[in-house]
Amino acid sequence: MDWIFLAELTVNGALTGLLYSLVAIGLVLIYKSSAVPNLAQGALTMLGAYVVLAFSHNLGWPLWIAIPLAVVIMFFVGIGIERVALRRLAGRPIVMILMMTMGLDIFLRGTTLAIWGGSSRSLNLGVSYDPFFVGDMLLSRIHIVGAAVAIAIFIASVLFFRTRMGIRLRAISDDYLASWSVGISVEGGVALSWGLASIVAVATGVIWGEVQGVDQSLSLLLLKGLTVAVLGGLDSILGAIVAGIILGIMESVGSFYLDAIVGGGSRDLIVAAVLILTVMIRPHGLFGRHDIERI
Amino acid sequence: MAQNETNLDDLILSLNSIEVMYDSVLLAIKGVSIGVPRGGMVALLGSNGAGKSTTLKAISGLLKAERGKVSRGDIRFDGKLIGDISPQDRVAMGICHVIEGRRVFEHLTPDENLDAAAPQSMSRRKIASEKERMYEYFPRLADRKSSQSGYLSGGEQQMLAIARALMTQPRLLMLDEPSLGLAPFLVAEIFGIIQRINKEQGLSVLLVEQNAIAALEIVSHGYLIENGRVVMHDTAESLKKNSDIQEFYLGGGEGKNFQDIKHYSRRKRWLS
Repeated sequence: MDWIFLAELTVNGALTGLLYSLVAIGLVLIYKSSAVPNLAQGALTMLGAYVVLAFSHNLGWPLWIAIPLAVVIMFFVGIGIERVALRRLAGRPIVMILMMTMGLDIFLRGTTLAIWGGSSRSLNLGVSYDPFFVGDMLLSRIHIVGAAVAIAIFIASVLFFRTRMGIRLRAISDDYLASWSVGISVEGGVALSWGLASIVAVATGVIWGEVQGVDQSLSLLLLKGLTVAVLGGLDSILGAIVAGIILGIMESVGSFYLDAIVGGGSRDLIVAAVLILTVMIRPHGLFGRHDIERI
Repeated sequence: MAQNETNLDDLILSLNSIEVMYDSVLLAIKGVSIGVPRGGMVALLGSNGAGKSTTLKAISGLLKAERGKVSRGDIRFDGKLIGDISPQDRVAMGICHVIEGRRVFEHLTPDENLDAAAPQSMSRRKIASEKERMYEYFPRLADRKSSQSGYLSGGEQQMLAIARALMTQPRLLMLDEPSLGLAPFLVAEIFGIIQRINKEQGLSVLLVEQNAIAALEIVSHGYLIENGRVVMHDTAESLKKNSDIQEFYLGGGEGKNFQDIKHYSRRKRWLS
C-alpha cells in the first residue's frame, strides 16, 4: 500500500471538491434567499468564463481588468434575470420557478453556443504548471488557488448572511408573504441573491476555465454543484464546503479503486450514488435546516 | 349607524365602497366602507369567509400575492389614495398587516425576526432600542430571543408576529385573527398589550376577529361583515347589547336550538 499516493489522491480530491463547492455556494446563495434551486448556475458559470474571455482574448485586455469587469457585468445579468424572468413568478409555486431556471439554463447554453461556438478555448490565468510538491505529494497549483478562492467566498458569504441585508434574504426564503407584510422588498432581495450568485459564477468560471478550458461542458458543473449542495443541505454554506471536500475525496479515492474493477467511468457513478443516497437517507443534507413541525 | 358621518380628517384609514375581485371573476368583497379614527381601535367582525381577511389584504396591498385586486372604490390612508402603491411603500407609509396564522420567520431567531422587519433606513442604535422596547412589551420573547422561532409556542409566535410588525413603526396596525388557537389567558394578555400600545403610542388598530367577545372588550367601534358586505356598524357597547350579535357571535340569546338559529340567520341575511 502506497500511503503517499493515497494521501495525494485524498488531498487532490479535496481540492477538486472545493472547486465543486464554488458551484454549490452559488446555488446555496440563491436557495437561502428565495428557496429555489437554481438549475442555471452551471450555465451562469460558463457565461462568466466566456465574458472574461471576451475581454481578455477578443479585446486583449489584461485579466486584472477583464475579471472585475466581468464581475460587474454578471452582477447586472443576475439582477436582470430576476427583473425579466422571475419577478412575475414571485409567490407562485416553486415548481414554476424551478422550470424557469431550467429554461434559463437552456437559453444561456444556446446563446453562448451561438456567439462563441462549440470549440474549447483556453483561459490562461498565468498559474504555473510546474510540479508542486508538499512533502512527497504532487499537487496542482491551480487547484490550490481555486480552493483558496472557495474558502474566501465561503467566509464572505457566511459574514454576509449575518448582516441586516443577509437576515432579510433569509427571511424572504422562509416566507414571501410575511416578508411583504413587513415591508421587505422580496423582489429586490431575490434580485440581489441572483446578482451575488452570478458574481460567484465568474469566480467559478475563471477557475474551472483554467482547469478544463472554456466550452459548453462547463455548464455540466451544475450536476456536481447540485450534488454537493444537496449533500451539504441546500441552505447551508458550510455544508457546501464540507460536502464539496467529501464528494471530492470520495470521487478521487473511490474511482481509483473502482475503476480498476469496472474498467473506468466510475466517477460519475459515485456522484450519482451520493446524490441518490442523500435524498433517500438524509433529504435535508448534512447541515441543512429541517422543516419545523411542532407537535 | 351613528358614527358613520365622522369627519374624514379624523380618520387615519377610510375605505369607500371597495370591491375586491380574485382572478378577474370572483367577487369577494362587494362595496365595503369602513373608517378607522386616528388613534382609535376598530374591530371587523364576521364569520369564516365573510371577507374580513380580504379587506385587510386590500388595505395592505397583499392581495397582489393572491392575484386579487381592488376593482372599485378607493382606499385612503392619512387622506392619500393608496390604491396604486406597492405593499412595501404602504409599510413605509405606516400601514402594517399582521397576517393570519402568525407566519413568523421560522428558521430565524426572534431577534433576527425583529431585525428583518426593521426599515432599511433605521440606524443600528435605533434598532437596538426598538428591540428593547419590544422585549419590554413582550417579556416572554426576551427569554427566548435566541432560540429558533419555529419552536416557539403559538402564543409566543403571535407575540413575535405583532412585535415584528411594530418594528416597522406603523401608525395603523392591522391584526388578522390574533386569538386564533390560543388559550383565553393568552388572548387576554395579547389584547392587553395591544390596548396598552394603543394608549401609550396613539397607534391606530384595525382588528379582525371571530372571537367577538374578546374583540368588543377592547375596541370602540365594530363593523359586522357578512358575504362581503358591511351589514352592521356601531359602537362596541351597542354591538354587545344587540340581540342579533349576541345570538350569532357572542353565544348569548335565549338559548334557541341550532336549527332555529340557522333558519333565523338565513332569514336575516335576506333582509339585510
